[in-house]
Amino acid sequence: MSRRDGLPSLWSGMDRKAMAVAEFTVRQQRKRLSTWVVLLVGIAAMGVLTMFYIDAMTMDYEAIDNDMDSYDWDLDGYPNGQERLYGTDIFDKNSHPGLIDSSIVPDDPSLWINEDDFDWEALEAGSVGFDDNGDCDDESRTDSQKDQNGNGIPCDIMLVQNTYSKRYMVFADGNVDEDPDDEAYALEAIHRAFVLAIGKLGIVFLIGIFVPLFMATGLIRQEMTSGTMHFMLAKPIARGEVFLYRMFGFLAIAWTYLTVLIALLAIITGLAGPSDGFFRFSDLGVWMSVWLASLLAVMVYGMLFCMLGVMWKHGMVIAIPFAAWELGMILTTLGAPDASILRFSVVGWAMNIVDAGAALAWSDTPLLIQMGVWGGGNGPLEGAEALQFFASTPGLNLSALGTVVVSVLVMIFQAAACWLLGSALFKSKEIE
Amino acid sequence: MIPDVTQQGPPPSQETIPAPTVPVVYFHGVSKSYGRIHALSNITLGLSGGVTGILGMNGAGKSTLFKLLMGKLRPSSGEVKLFGTNPWKNPSPYAKVGFVPEHEKMHDWMTALDFVSTFARLHGMTRKEAETEALRVLDFVGLADVANKEIGRFSKGMRQRTKIAHALVNDPELIILDEPLQGCDPLARTTIMNVIRELGKMGRTVLVSSHILNEIERITEQIVILHHGKLVALGNLHAIRERLDQIPHTIRLVGEDARALAKDILQHPAVFGLSFPNDTELLIQTYHFGQLHAELPGLIVNNGHKVSLIDNPDDDLESLLNYLAGGSA
Repeated sequence: MSRRDGLPSLWSGMDRKAMAVAEFTVRQQRKRLSTWVVLLVGIAAMGVLTMFYIDAMTMDYEAIDNDMDSYDWDLDGYPNGQERLYGTDIFDKNSHPGLIDSSIVPDDPSLWINEDDFDWEALEAGSVGFDDNGDCDDESRTDSQKDQNGNGIPCDIMLVQNTYSKRYMVFADGNVDEDPDDEAYALEAIHRAFVLAIGKLGIVFLIGIFVPLFMATGLIRQEMTSGTMHFMLAKPIARGEVFLYRMFGFLAIAWTYLTVLIALLAIITGLAGPSDGFFRFSDLGVWMSVWLASLLAVMVYGMLFCMLGVMWKHGMVIAIPFAAWELGMILTTLGAPDASILRFSVVGWAMNIVDAGAALAWSDTPLLIQMGVWGGGNGPLEGAEALQFFASTPGLNLSALGTVVVSVLVMIFQAAACWLLGSALFKSKEIE
Repeated sequence: MIPDVTQQGPPPSQETIPAPTVPVVYFHGVSKSYGRIHALSNITLGLSGGVTGILGMNGAGKSTLFKLLMGKLRPSSGEVKLFGTNPWKNPSPYAKVGFVPEHEKMHDWMTALDFVSTFARLHGMTRKEAETEALRVLDFVGLADVANKEIGRFSKGMRQRTKIAHALVNDPELIILDEPLQGCDPLARTTIMNVIRELGKMGRTVLVSSHILNEIERITEQIVILHHGKLVALGNLHAIRERLDQIPHTIRLVGEDARALAKDILQHPAVFGLSFPNDTELLIQTYHFGQLHAELPGLIVNNGHKVSLIDNPDDDLESLLNYLAGGSA
């Protein structure tokens, strides 16, 4: 037996201990059936949700002819819209463009569906919109009929943004953009709604809370109960260190899992979602924020549940009501993202990060929602209400980037507080 | 109240480490209670160097004593010091300590090498150093050839030896073994006893607990006896034994005709009482146990008696404890 010389320095010693405990924890969790069950159930649940999404993306959306100009009421073969364009009577079979000029052949009625789409993507409030089918800027209409919103510009849409709620209000002149492309809108809105829904509720909330609930609650407690903690605590390592390094091991698994899961979802939705190219790169910012929020959420929940496990043998009994509280909080963030009660939750801060990321990546979402809700003056288009439900503005009244920075710091603080409290509890525990 | 028998008998044969400035293990007026149950009361004890057996019945407080030393429990009162440091507050002394817990549960999914080297890394060793040291200690406890087998497939004795290897990996100055022989097969028992004796010879301080007197006797002469949470004796086992010879002692004989046997045995001057629990059994009371025990076989053979068993029901921990606690054996 030779005595080892050259003791490691404090830092290299801690580093080695951290690696040893974390690695041990990963290997230990890997050997447990329950770990695999939890992780696979998570993937299965997200898979089922993605099936619904794929179904929504491949479905045909009925093109609704809002202004009914694809019909041919007088049965003269010319759709109403075409007749109106040439000023012939839509109710008189003997009045149609063919009589004016025999070279004008009747249009395919489908050309007169979705023919006056939204053509405003500008985010500045002001005068937008264009009367594609010419049924507003009709010679037979008076000037006051052409300028119903009274902004002095005929046949336009006046967009006003409420400075407080940041919502857009749509004041349209009649017959402008009144027949939007239902399918294009539905696909875009449903796509965004799904990314937000699965990101917020599926990943940050469900995975973020259930993976730590099953994997972190017993991280210290199980070893205390079984007696195997004696081996670790017989070594020159502080209990706070054991707590922290065990958590590193848990996070190594949970973070890898989340990264893979989010990458898979980003790839699937990027390929399946509506886009001009083959892939929707514009969503990546949202996925990044979901990723960041979920990593922080499992960290805070992990620390918290591990602490509850140390505190009480049946720590899960406290963890479950807490999870219910968090569910209430996430529902609150959907409707009232600036409610101050959200400051007393974990998920409220995580949602701030996702909302800020979405605000950066899809800055036109508030406009898209209002377009769809207005729907050409004919009520909400498909997908508009779903998007309105899942999208919210970041609740801190800061810039998007500021919101992310503040929320990240708060969540790190929450995790650190749970760790300190957990370490203190662990230190005061006598181990039989 | 504690019989002081420390300085009697032959001195321990182990060479001890040079007198340290602070005792390796130090208890001062330590009590530990769980509610109304007093697991330990008012223990004062200092130990440095050599192998010390901690003897006591189940529940006497042996494990509690060790857990106090290992910082797992906080003393209700008194002071515990490990290398001069309070182990409840500071885990740093464990760099020089190896602990073999009594718990049977281990990380069954690990190989012996994994188990020992993983925990070795908690001493700040690199992965490579840990592996080298782990192989060395596994060889020391005789498990080198099964180092890469899973602990879950080990026998009880192999598991105990793995635990011992895990405790020795940092080449500790103090080794604490809580019931290391419990449940072991004879071969493992011998190996473990040899390992402990070896450690003593190397000058390490070794604390080993057991509830079997005979086991401890084969390892060391220096003992501490706990009974109902109290320290009832510490010192040399032989000295305690000699004292034991001076007190009334019982020998049990089982033979064909107990009454005929009794008639002859009563002649012996050392015998002061006889009793017959049944027709074939005879209990002899004596003050001179050693003398009678030596002469008894001759007495039986010379008188032509048939005896199937000579038993010494008192020669166990319980009678020793009874004696030390003030009763008679």
